[in-house]
Formats: sequence, C-alpha cells, structure tokens
Amino acid sequence: MSTTSQAPAISEAARGDWRALLTRHEMLLLYVLIAEWVFFYIAGTSTNRRGVVVGFGTWDRQFDILRHSCEIGLLALALTPVIITAGIDLSVGSLLGLCAILFGKLWHDGGLPIPVAMGLTLGIGALAGALNAILITALRLPPLIVTLGTYSLFRGLAEAITRGSITYTDFPENFLFIGQERWLGLPTQAWIFISVALAVGILLHRTTFGRAFRTIGLAPEGARYAGLPVERRLALVYVLAGLIAAIAAIIYTARLGQAKADAGTGYELFAITAVVLGGTSIFGGTGTIAGTLLGVAAIAVLKNGLACLPVVMRLNAAEEMSGLLTGALLLVALTASVLPKILSKLRPRRHTTIRTIPPLSP
Amino acid sequence: MKRYFRELSVLGALLAVLLGLALLAPAFFSPQPLLTLITREAPTLVVACGMACVIITRQIDISVGSIFSVCSVCAGLLAARGWPLALVLPASVGLGALFGAFNGFLVAVLRLPSIVVTLATMVTLRQGLNLVRQGEFVNLPDHVQWFGLSQTAGQLVLVSTALGLLVAQALAMRHIAAGRYIYAVGTDAETARLAGIRPQLVTLLVFVFIGALTGLGAMMNLAQSPQVQPLTGNGLELKVIAAVVVGGVAISGGRGNLWGAFAGLLLLACVSPALTHLHVEAYWEKAVHGAIILLAVIADGLRSRQSNR
Amino acid sequence: MKNPLLRFCAAGAVLLASLITASAAADSKLIVAMLPKSKGNAYFISCKAGADKAAKELGVQLLFDGPTDSNAAKQNEIVENWITLGVDVIAVAAENKEGISTALRKAQKQGIKVLAYDADAMADSRSFFVNQATPQGIGQTLMDEAARLVGEEGEFAMIVGSLTAANQREWQKYVEARLKEKFPKMKLVAVRPCDDLKDKAQSEATALLSANPKLKLIMAICSPGVPGAAEAVKQAGLAGKVKVMGLGLPNENKRYVHSGVTDSVILWNTGDLGYLTIYAGVALAKDELKKGAKSFKAGSLGSFAIEGDNLLLGKPFIFNQGNIDQFDF
Repeated sequence: MSTTSQAPAISEAARGDWRALLTRHEMLLLYVLIAEWVFFYIAGTSTNRRGVVVGFGTWDRQFDILRHSCEIGLLALALTPVIITAGIDLSVGSLLGLCAILFGKLWHDGGLPIPVAMGLTLGIGALAGALNAILITALRLPPLIVTLGTYSLFRGLAEAITRGSITYTDFPENFLFIGQERWLGLPTQAWIFISVALAVGILLHRTTFGRAFRTIGLAPEGARYAGLPVERRLALVYVLAGLIAAIAAIIYTARLGQAKADAGTGYELFAITAVVLGGTSIFGGTGTIAGTLLGVAAIAVLKNGLACLPVVMRLNAAEEMSGLLTGALLLVALTASVLPKILSKLRPRRHTTIRTIPPLSP
Repeated sequence: MKRYFRELSVLGALLAVLLGLALLAPAFFSPQPLLTLITREAPTLVVACGMACVIITRQIDISVGSIFSVCSVCAGLLAARGWPLALVLPASVGLGALFGAFNGFLVAVLRLPSIVVTLATMVTLRQGLNLVRQGEFVNLPDHVQWFGLSQTAGQLVLVSTALGLLVAQALAMRHIAAGRYIYAVGTDAETARLAGIRPQLVTLLVFVFIGALTGLGAMMNLAQSPQVQPLTGNGLELKVIAAVVVGGVAISGGRGNLWGAFAGLLLLACVSPALTHLHVEAYWEKAVHGAIILLAVIADGLRSRQSNR
Repeated sequence: MKNPLLRFCAAGAVLLASLITASAAADSKLIVAMLPKSKGNAYFISCKAGADKAAKELGVQLLFDGPTDSNAAKQNEIVENWITLGVDVIAVAAENKEGISTALRKAQKQGIKVLAYDADAMADSRSFFVNQATPQGIGQTLMDEAARLVGEEGEFAMIVGSLTAANQREWQKYVEARLKEKFPKMKLVAVRPCDDLKDKAQSEATALLSANPKLKLIMAICSPGVPGAAEAVKQAGLAGKVKVMGLGLPNENKRYVHSGVTDSVILWNTGDLGYLTIYAGVALAKDELKKGAKSFKAGSLGSFAIEGDNLLLGKPFIFNQGNIDQFDF
C-alpha cells in the first residue's frame, strides 16, 4: 500500500485479501449460527409432561422463530443498502409504527378495501423515505441527524394521529392470514420476506445499482467524478427503506391483529445489529444480503432459543438475557472484525513487506 | 456576529418562544416552579456539555442514558448503605468515567464506529440493570435530598454547578490547547495528527469525559428526590443529542460551541411546560420535538449549501 | 484464523456443559406460567410475591416472565414460547385484549388452561378472569375519593403512565364518566403522560401546578406517577393545599402519606391478586374449578365470589395514613 507504481498489483492482492476476509466473516457467522442452533436444540428441547416433544427442537418453534423475525428481518434488509452507502436510517422503526396506524385508519375510518389500503400504505412508506432522501441528498445533511429527527417525527405523528390511544383491530380473516397462518408449508409472511430478500439481493449483487451503492459508500466524491448519479442512487436507498418498512408494518399488523402507535418501537436497533453482525461495514462500501440474513437468523435464534432454556425460564430473565447477549454479541463481532487489522499491525515489518509482493503464478 | 449566526438564531427562537409565553401564559414565569424546572434540567445540561465535545470530534454516544441509569442506581444503593455523600459523588463520577473509557477504548483504539459501539453498550447496560434491579425503586436516606440543605439552597447549588461547568468548559474549549484539539480532531483527524496532536488519545479522553459528566449528572439527579427509579435515564441520549444539534453543533464534526448547545437545550426543554401552559394536548409533544430538530438541521443544510456555492 | 473459531467453540462448550448440568431433571410438577404487562413494574412484582407464596403452598412450579416495558407484541411471543413448552396453565394480564386472544385460543386448543388477571382478554380465549375490581369500579373509586378530598368542587388534573396503555384509557374513561355524572362542580383541566417515569411525572406536575393556579388536586393513575406528583407538590410548597392521590403501591408512597403530601393511595392487595390467580389456575388444571361455579376457596384467603366468569377479588382498597404501614409491597 505504498508507491503508486505498485498500486495496481497491490490493490489486486488487497482486493483478493478483502474478498477472503469478507467470506471469512460470513463463514464465521455461519459457524456461530450453527453452533447456537445446535446448542439450543440440545439444551432447549425436552419432552413435556404430556409426552409431547416441546421446546426449541420442534417444527412449531422453528416456524415461530421465522414468523417473529420477519419484521426485523425486513428492516434489516432495508437498512443494508443504506449502510452500504455509508449512510444510516434510524427512522425505520418509527416509520413502521406510522405506516401501521395509517393502514388501520385508511381501512377502518376511510372504509377502503384492504388491498387498496395496503397499496396506499406502501406509497406512504415510500413518501416518508423520500422525505429522508430529499433532506439527505438535496440539502446534503448527515443521515444520522436527519433520521434521528424523523425517528421522533414519525413516532410523534403516529401518536398524534391516534391521539395516543386508538388501536385498530378486528381485521378480516383473510388479511390476518398473512400474519398468522401458513401457506404452502411456511408461515405466510415468510414468503413475503423471501421475495423481498431475493429482490434486494438481486439489486445489490447483480445490478449496476448495487455496484454504485458500494462505490458511493467507499468514495462518494470519486463516484461523482466517475459520473455516477450519486444523489439519485442515494435517494433510491432511502425510498426503498421506507417502502420495505411499510411492508413490515402490514405484516406486523396482520401478525398481531392490531395497529397501534407503538408498533416497531426498538426494532431499528435490532435491525442495525443484524446488519453489522452480518459483516456490512458501518463505514460503507461492503456488505452482502447473505450476511444480513445470517445476522438476522443469529439474533432470532438467540432470542428465541434463550427463552427455551429451563435455566433462563427459572430466572424469568429471557428478555434481559437476550438483550444483554445481543449487545455483547455485537461487541464481540465488532472486535473480531478488526482483530486481523490490529494483529497485522503488531506483526514485525518484515512480514508485511513479504505480503505485498504479488504472487508469481496467476 | 456572522460567525455565531447559527447559535444566535437558536437564541432568537428561544426568546421568541419565551415572548409568546409571556403574552399568552405569563404563569410560566412564576419563580418557584421555574426554578424547579430548571433544576430538573441541570443534569441534562451537564451531560450535554460532554455530548457537544463528543459530536464535535465527529463521534456519537447513545449510551449516556443507560450509563446515567446505572450510575444513579449504584450511587443510590451506596447512599442507602450509609456511604457519606462526599464519597458517593466521586464513586458515581468514577463509574461513569469507567464506562466512558470502555466506549472510548473501542472507538479510539480499536477504531470501531461509535454509533455501533455505544448502541451495544446502551443495550447491554440497560438490560443488565433490568435483570438485576427488576424496576424496583431505590429508597434514599433523608440527608441525600438537596445535600441536606434547604430546597431553594439545594436547587441554587445544583443550577450554579451546572452553569459554572458550562462557563468553565466553554472558556476552556476556546482558550486552552486541549479545547482546540477537540475541534482539530473533529475537522480533520489526519491533519491534526500531522500537526502533532494525537487524535486517538483525544477521542478516548472525550469519551471518558462524557462518561464522567454523566456520572456527575446522575448524582445531581439523585440529590433532587428521595427515591431513584432505575428507568430514570430513559430517553436521555436523544434529549441531549437533539439539544446539542439544535444548538448548532454539526454532526459532521468540527463546528459548534457550548452556548449553542445550552440554547438548544433550553428551547427543547420549554416544549413540554409550554404545551401544558398553553393547554395543548399532550400527544403533540413528540411531533413538535421532531419538527424543531428537523428545522434546525434543515437550516444547517441550507446555510452550508449557500456557503458552498 | 482458527483462533476466533476455537474461542467461540470453547466458550460454547463451557456454556453448554454448565447449563446442562444446571438444569433439573424433568419433574412432574404442574407448571403455571404468569404473564405481567411489564416485568419491571413494581405492581406486578408485588403480584408475583403473592403468586410465589401460592405456588409454594400448592407445590407447583411458577414461571413468571413478561416484557420489560408494556408491549403487546412481546406478550404474544412469550405466550407462544409457553405453548410450545407445554405448560399446564397460562395466566395473562393482557396489554391488548384482541391481540393476545389469538395466542390464548391456540393454547386452549392444546389443552392448556387459560386465565386472565388484572386486564382481561376476550371471553372465549380464557376460562375465568380474576378481577381485582372492574375498571368501572376503579374509575369510580378514584373519582369519588378525589371528590371527597376537595369537597366536590374545583379543578383537578390527571397524570397517566402513557397515552397508549389500554387499561389506563379505560380508567380515565370511567373517571370522566363519573365526573360528568355526579360532580358537576368539578373540572378536569389537563391530562399529561409521564412515560411511567417518576422524574417526568414530577416535571409534568410542576408545570401543571404553575399553569393552573386554581388546581386543587392531582390524580396520578400510574404507580410511578404518584410519588412523582407528590414530590412536585412538596417542592412547590403546596403540600396540603393541592391534594395528591392516585393508583399506587404503598411502599413507594409511605413517606409522602406520612408527611401529609399524599392523601390516599388506591389499589387492591396485589399480593392477594397473584395468590388467587395461582390458586384458581391450579384448580382449573386439576378440574376442581368449573364453569358455572358461584364461589371459589383459595387457600388461606378464604372464599371469593364468582360472577359469571369473573372471579372477584373485591373492591379497591384505599391506603391512607391510618393503615398504610400495615402493608409491605
């Protein structure tokens, strides 16, 4: 990483290194996920007094995990492109709440049929995302502070519109089907989740948009000079995030059978944790959907698996322990991801020089 | 004048609100309740002083709320056990500084992004506290409230401590080298390093500083009532960050000062009592808060766009 | 990079070993699962104390878990946990009536007995509702006591926990209904939320006192709100001139009641509520308590009346200077 004449060869080697490192992070996460899963399977499954096998190792439980993690998973998917562009969106959880109550209001007070209400809600989500987008791209404001403001604003609007207490319930059966029943073997919302995951995955990894996002995250000025329409691409990620938050809101409402202003409180934190756990760098430039999905799975398994352990149940501490461990896991993951950099800095210079000599054979 | 336009405009907004209240709801200015409300905000001001430094160096700390809660509960438990206040105060400050050092180490030495580190710390501390305390209040011995002084004396002590800290720190940041280092690191860490400053050390110390201030704030909060609720720090981080940002401290670092943060804090703290005095329904509060923050931020954006052209 | 992987595995193995050895062998005790609205709320902690006592007397295992702040979504998750775990009885204090009922019906289908306590679920999703007092009764007691304290005329303000909590809205509704019905000379001037934070309640009360100089009483219907409001009144020097009362726990309010700042704290014996719930739950599981029963005997507490499917604890209890020291929760 020193003289410009060596730059192409070194960057080639560096890129190869980076790719290996990235794969290694996701592989590590996969090992952790498998280890977690096996652990909870062994420690959290038993036969209850009725002779039925219960606990972590049942199909019911696994489907429940899938069902419960769809909303946070969707938010994590929404945040991945945002974080790849070195941005952040703290308002997705509040937007979930706002979209949920607006959906309820459109259907209940507005008398609109469910599909129309759904469509309008998606539009509202995209519009809200556009608000973030305009402030960030047109006014060049830092995403952190814009979304901190909209985090308050969206939640505040949700509370003001419902006067804090109105809850919309009594949705029709075929709507609740989305959140509470199974279709072709999987919980219905899982299919929606999978479709969105595929769509975002294709966007990120198979289109030029995805490459643009990564470039913008690594070097926004350079991207601009290279002719990329930076503002348009950035606007896209935030609008997309708003749209996906609206989808999550609909699923949330269907799952619980109610639309309330406090929907989605705290979800953004878990979503960001999942994304970072999955290997996406908060500084931007790198990240994969596979990593995010693994991150969501790791957290979901942790949360639900802990609740199945007899020890945790006896302590009545499932909620706290899962929060504690998620926080700790995030810290460990972050530290582990920078360890190679630090270790390589600590190694004597001699090895570093040798490492920069490009390989002789292709 | 022009240099401080941003801060002066916040001050202007604050004065406009106060003027409106003077006309529409003069009861707002009755001295005793006003003093009580200001005293309640004193701990927040103290933490905001620290947050301003953190944001100026281009970092962020969203764990202050949880650190505040943990320090409050620990200080309360120590006081309840009979420790003299003269020992409880440094204990609280020290504990806060310790947590700050942990954050600072991860951010400055391991170069991890501060938003994620402090997010993890916040969640871990909050859940840990819930696990241990289960929401139970801590009852304090009588001599803790107002440090054993009369109510008014105690309130004046707390308010003057907060204001004194504000003035001292504002002056320090302008006139002492260490204060200028913060601005240097926030503007351009690499250039600062070339100029002989050690950005990592500065960043680490800034986190220790805000941690210590949070511990101090927790102590100041403790002295105001006979019980401590473990949830007490909930929402503090947002309150403080909003105040600092509204007050003109830019999230992109390198800019802003404590006076602006002070004005921002006062402006936002007025919202709730103002709504009560104007007899507006309570559920508008969050929306008004969010709107003020967004307006301030948009104003920032427009101004920097203009200056870029 | 074997090191991080090895470290993960080693840590996992240690954790695994310790947890497996720590977990007891499968026992044949009945398992009763109790869901509060919010685990951290001292009110529910005191319910748990009574429930623990009952569980010990009956020789059953008690599981007590809930969200750390009131959250209907998390309540559902916890109930689903318990269903797959195969507990025998589930007792819930529902944050959202309809939302939780889907999960409860699922539990009933699998043979788990379901009870509601403190805050009811839908009638077909539980066998009985252990009712400490109807929301109507609570609202009326609150309003009547408030009226008594101010001589049935004057302005008063209310502090609630959160604008979104369902049971608080219900109580508020009945307070306002009673106000309209019986006390035309009194006026409710403001309702402010305190997010279940004592300190915020104090700030809100301070502002209320200064904005409404003719205020005669503050009614706080969330338990951290009562000491918060009391502290505000005390610091404003208005103790005795502005009355403070509300729903709260004796322990948090003793010092204010004794110093005359707070006049009455209304509640019911939450420990008894927990005790009765567990007894009823176990009786349900053993098929000793059946639909259509008119009364139920619960251990050392004696007999309780049953109205339809409501198991009644009794009327709300008023704690004041005369009796508050007898209680410790």
